[in-house]
Amino acid sequence: MTTRSTPIKRRVNGLLLSALAWALGLLFFFPVLWMVLTSFKTEVSAQTEVPNLRLDGGLDRYRDITKNVPGTLTFLKAFTTSSIVVVLSTLIVLVLAVPAAYALAIRPIPKWRDVLLFFISTKFLPIAAAILPMYTISKRLGVLDTKVLIVVVYTSMNLPLAVWMLRSFFAEVPRELLEAAQIDGAGLLARIRTVLIPIVAPGLSATALLCFIFAWNEFFMVVNLTAFNSQTIPIWVTTMISTRGQFLAKLSAASTLACLPVVIAGWVAQKRLVRGLTMGAVK
Amino acid sequence: MKPRSLDRPHRSRTRTSAVLGAFAALSLLASACGSDAAEPADTTPVTEAVAETTPAETTPAETTPAPAETTPAETTPPAAAADGGSITVAIVDNPTMKDIQTLTPDNFTKTTGIKVNYVSLNEQTLREQVTKSVGSGAAQYDVVMIGPYEAPQFGANGWLQDLLPAATADTAYDLADLIPAVKGALSNNGKMYAVPFYAESSFLMYRKDLADAAGVTIPEAPTWDEVAAAAKKLKTADMAGICLRGKPGWGDLGASLGTVVNTYGGTWWEANADGSIGKAQVNTGGFKDAFNFYAQLLKDAGEPDAANASFNECLKLMQDSKAAMWYDATVAAGILESADSPIKGKLAYALAPTKETKASGWLWSWALAMPAGTKNTDAAWKFMSWATSKDYIKLAATLPGGWAGIPPGSRTSTYAIPEYLAAAPAFAPLTLKAMLAAPIDNPGTTKRPGLPGVQYVGVPEFQDVGTRCTQELSAAIAGTQSNDEALNKCQDIAAEASS
Amino acid sequence: MNAVPSTADRTGETTDALRRTLVRKQGWARRAPLLPALVFTVLVTQLPFVITIWYSLNRWDFLKPGSFSFTGLSNYTKPFADPFFREAALHTVVIVVGTVLIGTVLGTTLATLLDRKFLGQGVVRTLLITPFLIMPVAASLVWRHAFLDATYGFVNWLLSLVGAEPVAFTTRHPLASVVAVLVWQWTPFMMLIILAGLQGQSGEVLEAARVDGASALQTFRSITLPHLRPYMELGALLGSIYLIQTFDTVDQLAGGSPGARNIPYFIYQRSIGGGWKFGQASAYGVVVVIATIVIANLALRLISSLLEDQ
Repeated sequence: MTTRSTPIKRRVNGLLLSALAWALGLLFFFPVLWMVLTSFKTEVSAQTEVPNLRLDGGLDRYRDITKNVPGTLTFLKAFTTSSIVVVLSTLIVLVLAVPAAYALAIRPIPKWRDVLLFFISTKFLPIAAAILPMYTISKRLGVLDTKVLIVVVYTSMNLPLAVWMLRSFFAEVPRELLEAAQIDGAGLLARIRTVLIPIVAPGLSATALLCFIFAWNEFFMVVNLTAFNSQTIPIWVTTMISTRGQFLAKLSAASTLACLPVVIAGWVAQKRLVRGLTMGAVK
Repeated sequence: MKPRSLDRPHRSRTRTSAVLGAFAALSLLASACGSDAAEPADTTPVTEAVAETTPAETTPAETTPAPAETTPAETTPPAAAADGGSITVAIVDNPTMKDIQTLTPDNFTKTTGIKVNYVSLNEQTLREQVTKSVGSGAAQYDVVMIGPYEAPQFGANGWLQDLLPAATADTAYDLADLIPAVKGALSNNGKMYAVPFYAESSFLMYRKDLADAAGVTIPEAPTWDEVAAAAKKLKTADMAGICLRGKPGWGDLGASLGTVVNTYGGTWWEANADGSIGKAQVNTGGFKDAFNFYAQLLKDAGEPDAANASFNECLKLMQDSKAAMWYDATVAAGILESADSPIKGKLAYALAPTKETKASGWLWSWALAMPAGTKNTDAAWKFMSWATSKDYIKLAATLPGGWAGIPPGSRTSTYAIPEYLAAAPAFAPLTLKAMLAAPIDNPGTTKRPGLPGVQYVGVPEFQDVGTRCTQELSAAIAGTQSNDEALNKCQDIAAEASS
Repeated sequence: MNAVPSTADRTGETTDALRRTLVRKQGWARRAPLLPALVFTVLVTQLPFVITIWYSLNRWDFLKPGSFSFTGLSNYTKPFADPFFREAALHTVVIVVGTVLIGTVLGTTLATLLDRKFLGQGVVRTLLITPFLIMPVAASLVWRHAFLDATYGFVNWLLSLVGAEPVAFTTRHPLASVVAVLVWQWTPFMMLIILAGLQGQSGEVLEAARVDGASALQTFRSITLPHLRPYMELGALLGSIYLIQTFDTVDQLAGGSPGARNIPYFIYQRSIGGGWKFGQASAYGVVVVIATIVIANLALRLISSLLEDQ
């Protein structure tokens, strides 16, 4: 490669790179697109040897899966439960994580590293091993199959990530600002609210989004700790899987509906995500 | 017990020790929480005690907002009939169960006032949730769907209520009408622990048109050698000669292969004199021969990627005319012969192929049971008896699927319904024959450990051994390891359960 | 139960003691904000862990009521002699390391491509991040049935166009299939983090390099890559924490095939997945936690930049 490329060559190169970016983007997106297309097919057309674009099912699959049969886990019920549980747990995570991250970053307590690593280490116990004690305790406390339990469980699931990320963001905040606020007589909460939060807002929303994604998609714990009252969207999706009969079109429709909130949230917040994810995480 | 590590002077040290220190310190913190941390010590025995003693003592019942009281308001619209309370029912997710969910509000709830909350789960998840809940006395479900593998074992553990008294007292229920082999498989020690919603055996389905064209004839009771020969003849470049289950799971590959093993004179384990699990017999004799035969047949004339195929995959291949024969559950015939099936009317049926035994078909039922912890026993029995009644079968026939889609195999009287016989002339009589022939008490050539069973062994260890072993065997079918390697690993897995 | 500083030294002048009290008070004020999160985490995660340890010291076959009995450390002899467990550990390493490495390389490539103005830049980024947002259960099933299936799979249709024989991906190459789907899901995550790193790069330095006559490749290698290193480390760390717990993909995509079975799946099988041997399964769990902590520490030492003092 020469040090000075001609403008034309650079243009061609640029076009090629753009084309490559587009090609890779479409490649990564294709499975999702295919899933959405499949959701508009009949079960017969959903699986054929030569892929087809017959959208002969129309909205039938969506009608099937959103049918409102009393006494069953309907889409609406699962969606409501998921929304409540996920939003509440994400809020609680932030309420707990913000002060914790403050204590670990702004005026770090001794051993802040160990505390941070402790938070992360709570994610090392395989869930399959932890689920039984969780079940036993929940049963004893009489909270099995309640939304409260799921909120608590999801909060503990996401808290380490949130503490870790927020600590990194807070570490970026200029100390002088906080000290100035302190001299002005602002208390801890006031300092967090008026100085810290505005600065780390993108990071905060990135964290919230990740917590939202992980909680929305969580399946293993919720299926083990609920029965009828607190079943969430991932469980509803798996009720489309049948061992006796084809289900790919129906599953695709259910997956499309189930993923929609997270996908939309991700799309809307992507710029913030890019800025927020690493804001101050590394210098 | 103060966590010292938190106020030790900050000095340079390796991170490893620091983190381990922190971890230990926080574990101490946890134990310092006094009574909470001490809880595990008495938690478990209680859990156990609950499992052993009567459900009346279960604590959660008093503290948990019982589903019965909380759900109706938020989930179901007020019903027309007087409020009969509500029950929560865990069921397996398949088309026949979708039907009952649709029919319940307008039929059952309307007349009884009892609201039914369905928890519909796939087979594996259902098994996990039901076992965990029923075994720990959590009383999350009033009615659970289980099979003949679980019913007698759970019953013996004291986890289920005996349904015989209620079923006998209920003359309209007509207990004697239940197919005896099915009822027997769901009972233990003179107690009936579940009532069948539907039941199935296994048989051979094949394309009569293709067989005729190829000059292949298959007797009503074929041998595996005849079937293998026919499969090889029927195989073409884009048509498998036979479709067999190869997907891991004791209820998938385990079920099909299990019946072949039985009729080859093989067994998972020898039985000790007291009926306990004896020496594992996986990598020798009939088991080994049967698996080698099965794997070879799949290689010679089986479906592509057999290690990934089970009921659904084979069903699809049959419907797409990509397989000429299929050995699987009798309920498959109802789907292959349904109005919208592209191969409707082109099929013929034969009993499960044999080798050294007279009959080899499996016996399975999805049945309803009442956990020991159920409090609303009256409502639960009302539901169970309705769902497994003659009337329900007639009701199910009113759905778009028609008579071919009714829950089959549970009652003898089903096979005397003229409409059903007219709708399913090709397979209904043979299904009944297969059900009656299923060798539940004497599946192979040797005595089995544990409770009766055809395609499974009636011991608690079996589901683990069966699943892990079929994962190994399936990998051999896929070709990632040799048959012998798989059989030897499986032998080791099975041997762990021997006593 | 909380972090109380050790009692003050017995000696010392009044002023010294006073100062210490002040420091202690301050210490409390500094720690207080941490406590809610810490106490919550300890209660919700460590209590089950302590119970897991207790279970691991007992025999408990759930399907056999009355089997619960104290057995000391005997459950711990098993994990070290179990070839299936070793195999699962190996698969876990392959899954985590493979996905992280491939994801980082692909993520860097994609981020580099995205870090320049072109028509539809935002759209392409939107397309690229979507796989990360898809529910893992759904992703596994769609990949298995619609893409990797030997007969009906899209990938095999592509192969047939070039005359290749169909490949039974999920059964012949279960581990590779699992890694492939995980790479599809996690590359966008890596890309996002690295993209943020690229956008934080100072334009002046790059411009100076260009003026100095450095080629694009040279610039990338000697300036961009070192700048990106901590971002890659962060992505690898966060990714690993989740990938280590991979369950849905192994279960739904590979059907628990022995060729892909990892530690979470292995432990699941020993407990509620069919084994119902809770004591034994808990022992495996405890061993895994300890091993993971040790490994994580070693790894964190290697990428220590994430934990530097401000």
